[in-house]
Amino acid sequence: MSTDDRGRLRTLLDRAADWLLDATVLERLAIAVASTLLAIAIGLVIVAAAGFDPIRFASQLLIGAIGSERAILRTLRNSVLFVLAGVAVAVAFRAGVFNIGVQGQFIVGGFATVVSIIWLAAFVPTGAVGGMILLVFGTLVGIVAGGLYGALPGVLKAYGDANEIITTIMLNFIAIGFVGWLVAGPFSDPDATATRTRRLPANVELPQLVFSDPNLSIVGLAVTLVTVVAVAALLTRTSFGYDMVTSGYQAAAATYSGVDAKRMIVLTMTLSGMIAGLTGAVFVIMIQGYFTDPSGIGNYGFDAIAVSLLAANNPIGVLPAGMLFGGLDSAGSHIQINSDVPVQLIDGIVGLVVLFVSAPELFRMTAKRTGLGGDSE
Amino acid sequence: MDTQPSTRTPDGGEPAVRLDTITKRFGDVVANDRVDLTLERGTIHALLGENGSGKTTLMSVLYGLYDHDEGTVSVNGERTDFDSPRDAMDAGIGMIHQHFQLIPPMTVLQNIVLGHEPTERGLVNDAAARDDIIDICDRYGFDVDEYLDTPVGQLDLGAQQRVEIVKSLYRGADILILDEPTAVLTPQEVDSLLAVMDDLRADGRSLIFITHKLDEALEISDEITVLRDGESVGTVEATGATEQELARMMVGREVLFDRLDREGEPGEPVLRADQLRIDSDRGREQVRGVDLTVRAGEIFGVAGVQGNGQTELVEALTGLRPVTSGEVHLHDEEITELRRRKRIEAGVAYIPEDRQREGLVEDYSLVRNAVLGNQTLDPFASRGVLNWGTVADHAADIITEYDVQPPNASTTAHSLSGGNQQKFIVGREIGHDPDVMVAAHPTRGVDIGSIEFIHNRLIELREEGMAILVVSSKLDEIQKLSDRVAVMYEGEFVAVVDPESVTDEQLGLLMAGAAREVDDYRDATLAAGSDSSQPDTSAAEETTAAATDENPTAGGRS
Repeated sequence: MSTDDRGRLRTLLDRAADWLLDATVLERLAIAVASTLLAIAIGLVIVAAAGFDPIRFASQLLIGAIGSERAILRTLRNSVLFVLAGVAVAVAFRAGVFNIGVQGQFIVGGFATVVSIIWLAAFVPTGAVGGMILLVFGTLVGIVAGGLYGALPGVLKAYGDANEIITTIMLNFIAIGFVGWLVAGPFSDPDATATRTRRLPANVELPQLVFSDPNLSIVGLAVTLVTVVAVAALLTRTSFGYDMVTSGYQAAAATYSGVDAKRMIVLTMTLSGMIAGLTGAVFVIMIQGYFTDPSGIGNYGFDAIAVSLLAANNPIGVLPAGMLFGGLDSAGSHIQINSDVPVQLIDGIVGLVVLFVSAPELFRMTAKRTGLGGDSE
Repeated sequence: MDTQPSTRTPDGGEPAVRLDTITKRFGDVVANDRVDLTLERGTIHALLGENGSGKTTLMSVLYGLYDHDEGTVSVNGERTDFDSPRDAMDAGIGMIHQHFQLIPPMTVLQNIVLGHEPTERGLVNDAAARDDIIDICDRYGFDVDEYLDTPVGQLDLGAQQRVEIVKSLYRGADILILDEPTAVLTPQEVDSLLAVMDDLRADGRSLIFITHKLDEALEISDEITVLRDGESVGTVEATGATEQELARMMVGREVLFDRLDREGEPGEPVLRADQLRIDSDRGREQVRGVDLTVRAGEIFGVAGVQGNGQTELVEALTGLRPVTSGEVHLHDEEITELRRRKRIEAGVAYIPEDRQREGLVEDYSLVRNAVLGNQTLDPFASRGVLNWGTVADHAADIITEYDVQPPNASTTAHSLSGGNQQKFIVGREIGHDPDVMVAAHPTRGVDIGSIEFIHNRLIELREEGMAILVVSSKLDEIQKLSDRVAVMYEGEFVAVVDPESVTDEQLGLLMAGAAREVDDYRDATLAAGSDSSQPDTSAAEETTAAATDENPTAGGRS
């Protein structure tokens, strides 16, 4: 590349960064919607190029997401996980800590929930009361386990100067490998053909009040909404949240204002991991009922990064962003069954959406970190 | 690739660099105001000034990092207008930045050739580069060629700096700009750097040496230009100039305001420090046994040329930096180990030196900034929950009372001018009714009107019985505000003087370290170890001079 080209590229980057950094909430919302539509449009072109009917594909996409009661319930069920995991990511990103390990914390939390419930079930009465005790206990254990698994890279970063992006990615692999071994070995269900733990006791079940889907409970939705609102309130209305957000914006100013930077990193990672652990607990109690090999569990924790980025790391914004991902996921499984478009192509198109919606926010964050945007200082 | 300084013409009388009435603005802030500078060929020209006086900005204009608003740049007699450092490099200008532009995991050789790799059929030809670099090293007696294959990250800072210089020379630089090159070096490394600079000059190269250290400027340079608040105060020949004269040029002598009238006598001691010793981030001892007492209803001024330990002292007092030894007391309570937040809650307010990095969150609205540092204090928060209504009222009050422009609490701090940012910070820090106010350079980069305002406010607070510590490198500010003035030099209070009776000459001498009659002081303290309780006469003398109740006589000692 010649010097001139480089200069021009830099100018172009600066201008784009300027614009993105100055974008208002509304503009950013518009960017998110446009990115999604653009990604889907390009996806349809690819579908057409592969020799399938793009119109039919598009309509299947819509039908699969919201076309029937079943589709809507499926979308909601997926959304619960995407939203919760998205909040876990958002909390960390807002504080300037890049927790890429939500997937691992989700796995550890979910597994801990299953194991602890099965263990405690021997000591509590069967029936509704016992079920309630098990539910609450298991959920708390899941939260604590996820929190501890998140605290670990936090401590490593704060006191060992280890980059949290790298440690959390590695801890994901460790979680998948280690829990996978536990599920296949010490905790496997000898009566099951598949690799999984024993089932949760029958009394551990969320109430089925509103929805006909056995894997979606109003309680799960409520937990999700409460979590979103609680985290949003924590960030905007409390001294602790102010500490966190200020650390993310401008670390030196946070230190000036009395924030202990090291402690804040650990607390942030712990909180993020706790929410990831809660996601795991909801997943096993509401949806799965046991724990399977974590390598095939679904990439909720990874997709949550895109969800959070799409929402500009705002917990309230995670709600629509998570639902978009829930819908796409739901549509994907519908198309897989109801059309001959290969599953790889569907995954590719979903990936395209992920890429498109995260790119602007990712670029924004990078620009902020690297000081792109020319005269902004 | 040609490594020799190829374009060096026989001395035709044209200076290497001529900057003519350069003006550079950042928004409302004028960073350089009609600055002239002429670098004669084969000389070293020191650019002297405090932090924020516009030295680096001026050099960034020359180096093509910034566009200037007015004035002209000529290199070797030719009008130039560099768009990028690349253009400047092509014209034979090299800049050694304060923060090295080196890639730690790459080897010295790779770093030197980076971007200028000699290639042969598309492949990098290391061998050719190696010979060129060894030639350069031989010529100037550098040892860089001895560790060409070592990763840069494994070298100490002095060696890294030599790599930077070799890199510039390898790229054919004939004019070298060294930005605060001695700031990171040990005294021995400083000596060898100065020797290298001397060799480069002897070889006919022209150097601009940015510094705020008077002795170094005098020792090595031919001419010295002093910048203050973005303006050139003047250019002097190094021969015949004195540190005292330069110190006064740097910090300014024109008295803008008369000393403010004051009433009331100081009361009880509020903030007290005993034998503080504090290290810098790099582990160098920056404060060496400071005692101080600030009383209620008193402004205690700390004067001195920047970089003599004031920053570390202030950070230790406000809880941002640990001390290596010594104690800090607030009223009767020891607070040496108290964390920053606890100190804020105990009543220590702080107007920080770097308001944009520390004092404000630039992207926050003024409302959100109004609670920065006070986010746990009543009435802004109760039981961990912020009361945004109260905070918003507080922000509005600050804006009204301190005449912050624009008067809009929802505007971001980023969009305020420096003076208005500072007024806002002062208002906020006073707002939680502290016992002690530590103000570091409270009016740096602030417009005249705001300076007046901030000064008057500090005096009012003094009258209301607050204990105030002001650090400033502006003599007129210190003299105008303070009840007592400590002069800081090389990490110590060399004297505590009465601002009304001390003369300019005395202050100039003290700031230049003239009060220190014991030349081998450094050796003496090193030999005595870090503890101050030894009976060494030199240290005893220092302690006496630093005693806070001392009468203002120390200034006349030399």
